Amino acid sequence: MLAAGSWTALALLWAAGGCVGRSAGYRRRGDPKVSLEYNPGWESSAVNLLHTRAVGLNDTIHYIWSTIGAPTALLVYTGSDSSTLHVNWTQLLSSSPAGAIRVEPADSVLYSTAVVFTRLWEYDGTNTSDLSKVHAEHFYPSYHLANFTWASLEGQLNKTALSAEFRGVSSGREGTFWNGSISFQVTAYEGGSRDGPLPRLLHSANSSKVEFVMQGVAPRGNRSRFALEILALEQGGRRKLLQSVRSIDDEYTPTIFEMAQLISEPHNNSFGSSFLQWKTAAYSSQNPQREDTVHCQYYPLQVVNTTGPEFSILRAYFGEDLERRCSLSAVNISFGSENNEAYEEKGYLSWSALVGFGEPPREGFSLLVIGILAVALGTPAVLLIVGTLVVLTRQEKPCSEYEPIN
Amino acid sequence: MVLLEEEEKALLDEGSLPKEHGGPARKPLPAVCDPQRLAHRLLVLALMCFLGFGSYFCYDNPAALQTQVQRDMKVNTAEFMALYAWYSWPNVILCFFGGFMIDRVFGIRWGTIIFSCFVCVGQVIFSMGAICNAFWLMEVGRFVFGIGGESLAVAQNTYAVSWFKGKELNLVFGLQLSMARIGSTVNMNIMGWVYWKVQDLLGSTGHTTLGIALLIGGTTCIFSLVCALLLAYLDKRAEKILCKEQGKTGEVIKLTDVKDFSLPLWLIFIICVCYYVAVFPFIGLGKVFFIEKFKFSSQEASAINSIVYVISAPMSPVFGILVDKVGRNITWVICAVVATLTSHIMLAFTFWNPWVAMCLLGVAYSLLACALWPMVAFVVPEHQLGTAYGFMQSIQNLGLAIIAIAAGMILDSRGYLFLEIFFSACVCLALIAVVMLYFVNLFRGGDLNWSAKKREKFQKLAMAEAKRREKIRRQNEDDLAKLQPKNDFSLRNRYLCRLGAQLPANCVCHLSALAHRSVLK
Repeated sequence: MLAAGSWTALALLWAAGGCVGRSAGYRRRGDPKVSLEYNPGWESSAVNLLHTRAVGLNDTIHYIWSTIGAPTALLVYTGSDSSTLHVNWTQLLSSSPAGAIRVEPADSVLYSTAVVFTRLWEYDGTNTSDLSKVHAEHFYPSYHLANFTWASLEGQLNKTALSAEFRGVSSGREGTFWNGSISFQVTAYEGGSRDGPLPRLLHSANSSKVEFVMQGVAPRGNRSRFALEILALEQGGRRKLLQSVRSIDDEYTPTIFEMAQLISEPHNNSFGSSFLQWKTAAYSSQNPQREDTVHCQYYPLQVVNTTGPEFSILRAYFGEDLERRCSLSAVNISFGSENNEAYEEKGYLSWSALVGFGEPPREGFSLLVIGILAVALGTPAVLLIVGTLVVLTRQEKPCSEYEPIN
Repeated sequence: MVLLEEEEKALLDEGSLPKEHGGPARKPLPAVCDPQRLAHRLLVLALMCFLGFGSYFCYDNPAALQTQVQRDMKVNTAEFMALYAWYSWPNVILCFFGGFMIDRVFGIRWGTIIFSCFVCVGQVIFSMGAICNAFWLMEVGRFVFGIGGESLAVAQNTYAVSWFKGKELNLVFGLQLSMARIGSTVNMNIMGWVYWKVQDLLGSTGHTTLGIALLIGGTTCIFSLVCALLLAYLDKRAEKILCKEQGKTGEVIKLTDVKDFSLPLWLIFIICVCYYVAVFPFIGLGKVFFIEKFKFSSQEASAINSIVYVISAPMSPVFGILVDKVGRNITWVICAVVATLTSHIMLAFTFWNPWVAMCLLGVAYSLLACALWPMVAFVVPEHQLGTAYGFMQSIQNLGLAIIAIAAGMILDSRGYLFLEIFFSACVCLALIAVVMLYFVNLFRGGDLNWSAKKREKFQKLAMAEAKRREKIRRQNEDDLAKLQPKNDFSLRNRYLCRLGAQLPANCVCHLSALAHRSVLK
């Protein structure tokens, strides 16, 4: 009876788990209110600048996503719930954009950081898929994302789902792209929950998701592999740290046991930190299943000392002497391992990461896992105890009716 | 292999004294050709061992090439595991009929050849499915392969009984078992390399590469078929020279017996199903687990995935003797189940070196096989043993088929942690069943958990009783001289069997029923 009861409880738990998963979207009190704004204060849609404003109880996180120059995400954390973004468009689009982007009041800004997607590498992965072991002659000329032509965000903006898609095609100089495109799909969140599709990243209200998608891009070789170069900025004397978090739990991202995260170096006097977090998996299908998993590999952080004109957003916000005031570091992420098919077979690749303020979210065991374990281990234990008790009580009875034969 | 050669050497030494039974009328044959001489029987033994090699080698082909199969055929894990399920489906039914078909329909020789052909054809269809990029054809191939595989194991053991009855039978069974393990291990460790070589040759991966690699693996089946043909020829020849009878499984299956099965027997069935579904599907899916979670190379992952088979090859006889000497089968089963649970939990929740957990699993698995299967003979009267074992294998195959697919689905949707927890839950069910069996046995005063000493005592008592009855019977027999005299040897064995005493293997007529693949694996 006991056993049956606990197994029933388990079934209920399963159902409950499903409900919790489904009701993920609702807002709690204290969760920020998020609003999207496209090219604030500018009528034209020739360039893209998306402003996401997440207003909390007494703080605001501004995200500025833009394809002016290289695709950039700028994160500004302010200690006021009424801070606003000001963009001086003529200055921003000029050759000296310093100071064109400001968040007012300036003294409410507590922390700011930025992530830039600079380049897409393509290399011949016949011998190895490890980017750091590939010889220089096996690299094709890389795609500079700043030279891409980015489609207007108009029509790509979904204000209820809080998402937008920046789609870009190569301008032609750097090899054929055919009708392929690269896009960055950006999603903001109003509450903490978990994404539906793989890799089902756990996000908090303090983070946004960016999904990098390569669709229909014509590879220049038979066994072409691609890698994305990402540049991260940290202000003051701090630097970025690249961490690998290995977890035994692959319940939400089947067979992927590693999470990589780029975090701010811990610092006593500084307020705030940020993270870029991703699972070491990309997917080769629009509706990703486990079998579409493409392993991704990341390589050690490299310090970057010089910056080109493609960092207009960074210059516009952090100023002209960017290299002196901030530390810049770059990380490469390559897609595909020896066991994965080459890109051309599916012609699709998507990779997701979270950009956010504060500490990166930590995963825990799901209720279902704990429930099953408790019931499965508990039942035999209970049975053993009950059985032992019954045996002990039985033994206390005198066994006088037994008489030895012979 | 080394083990095999050593054993053979030992056999040769032991048998080096010449045997002088040969008919004086016949011209003396050279030792290798004379069915009465040891050298000839060793040849037959070698053929028997290699008879099963092909099917054991190819059974685990999918596990050895999991990543390749999934990538080249573009299937998810549930579909991949269906390859194993399709192997099991025919055996849900065939377990009951394998023995019957060998005894009544084909005879051992033709039966062996036919089952070998099934195995070959199955593997060829399987490879053709890969070459033609038709996954359904691969499934058909596995189905045909399954029809042959399990029955071939029965035929193999029937041959063993017919050639080695009364002498080296235990050793022969042991050797066949080791050969099975060697087949599985070689497969796990070599198929990746074969695939890689074919890939080098063709210059690309893809379903054709997979198909050709599988076809190359299939040559082991052809080799086994050749063994079957040679064996049939030698057996026929021996029949002519020695006037011996064709071997029979002696299996009697009566499905109506099922309603008479006792509670302990049903509990044993539950243990069997719940335990084995947490081992074989895990091995089938293990390779990717070790690569992904523990960052093993493909080669290392193959090696660790085959360690369970490697360990059980030498440990099975050791545990067999241990359990025989000590008795207390239920306690051993509890130990084995708890060890397996520990191992699964270690694999699920820690990053500890998985060699520890897998070795523990290998040991536990060998121990369970030695302690669990003989228990059936204690709780079932002899005339129902065939049915009991057939039924046990049938539901085991059913469980394996269903759980294999379920495991694939769980892996695809919820990952390895959840899969491991699912397997742990299965082992826990087995643990519940074995704990219940312990108490049921205790309350009912069963003999399952007696020590060997106590059993011996009762065996002596039973012997005395048997002797007394024998005396009475003889007296009666004298009175009824017309009655056909019964062999007292077989009579005594029957009594002992009824009492659940353990007999030497050569005295037990139902032993061959024990020797299905899934039982001995």
